[in-house]
Amino acid sequence: MLSRAARPALRAGAVAAAIPARTAQNAATYATLREIEGRLKSIRNIEKITKTMKIVASTKLTRAQRAMTDAQKYGSASNEVYDAAETKALESEGKKPLYVICSSDKGLCGGVHSGLSRWVRRTIPQGSADLVIIGEKARSQLGRTNGNDIVLNFAGIGKNVPTFADAQAIADQIVQLQTQYSGIKILYNKFVNATSYEPTIIDAFSEEAIAASPNFSAFEVDEELIPNMREYALANSLYWALAEGHACEISARRNAMDNASKNAGEMIGKYQILYNRTRQAVITGELVEIITGATASADM
Amino acid sequence: MVFAWKSAGLSYNRYLAIASRVVRRSLKEDKRIIAERRGETDLRFAKWSNGKMGESKNLVDANTSGMASQAGSSSS
Repeated sequence: MLSRAARPALRAGAVAAAIPARTAQNAATYATLREIEGRLKSIRNIEKITKTMKIVASTKLTRAQRAMTDAQKYGSASNEVYDAAETKALESEGKKPLYVICSSDKGLCGGVHSGLSRWVRRTIPQGSADLVIIGEKARSQLGRTNGNDIVLNFAGIGKNVPTFADAQAIADQIVQLQTQYSGIKILYNKFVNATSYEPTIIDAFSEEAIAASPNFSAFEVDEELIPNMREYALANSLYWALAEGHACEISARRNAMDNASKNAGEMIGKYQILYNRTRQAVITGELVEIITGATASADM
Repeated sequence: MVFAWKSAGLSYNRYLAIASRVVRRSLKEDKRIIAERRGETDLRFAKWSNGKMGESKNLVDANTSGMASQAGSSSS
């Protein structure tokens, strides 16, 4: 909503240079003065909003990062089994892979969501894989281009730090899908540092892939338990991806809001100068009028 | 090895969710409130077919009813 509100102000910035030229011919100088004042006020309000959002994001960031480090341990511990068993995704025999895209519902956080969507459009040709989308933002972006591949979408994520219950519920719903997939790939934003993140894949293997992995017999697990393990591992990986994606989003939002406040500050400076100049010009004009009037009447 | 929850039509994740809910509820009052917040979900989901989004439903309700219907079909 804010971005739409900010756009006219940005455009106004470009127009600003043209305004003084118009005021010179325009008799109603006071109106433009008031116009500039109004714009200044609206930019100040925007700055206030973006600053507040930045502060909110900063306070949420520490919590999100803590959740992320916890979830990372969780996910990597559960993937340890597959590393030891040297599980590899099976080459699909006519089966599609399933991609789970972890974005969220909220915008105003830079290119987090569009980075994921762009990755999907670039790497997955249409019709070659099915998509499960978590979050409204990626849904609206991918729904336009890859709508035919989407099988499920989830909404309501991103209000808070994702919980394991979220991940479990999503995993349950994915497991219930009727189609057989060669494997599940979870796409999320990897947290590189506070300013950068990159779309990354976590593999969640199918039951056959787990059973076929070379070192799996070392674990001495019953065949019947593999579906359980697979479901649980899927929930673990999803939780990891959701938590890390959430941390990325919050940190990206913090940066985006920081930049927005900075830009607003710059614009306020520019407009303040413009405002003062116009005011001076108006006063000077009035003085000239008065003096000419006075000298003219003195001569009489 | 046959599990009671499996024959009741629950998935492992659902079984875990129920078990963890029970543990959370049996905690002391002050700890319980903090712990229960970790078990909350407020997700909605929608199935897609042919590029069209279906009806959006509450995820937890749908999961419970889906499991219940599976249980009914497997027992009969």
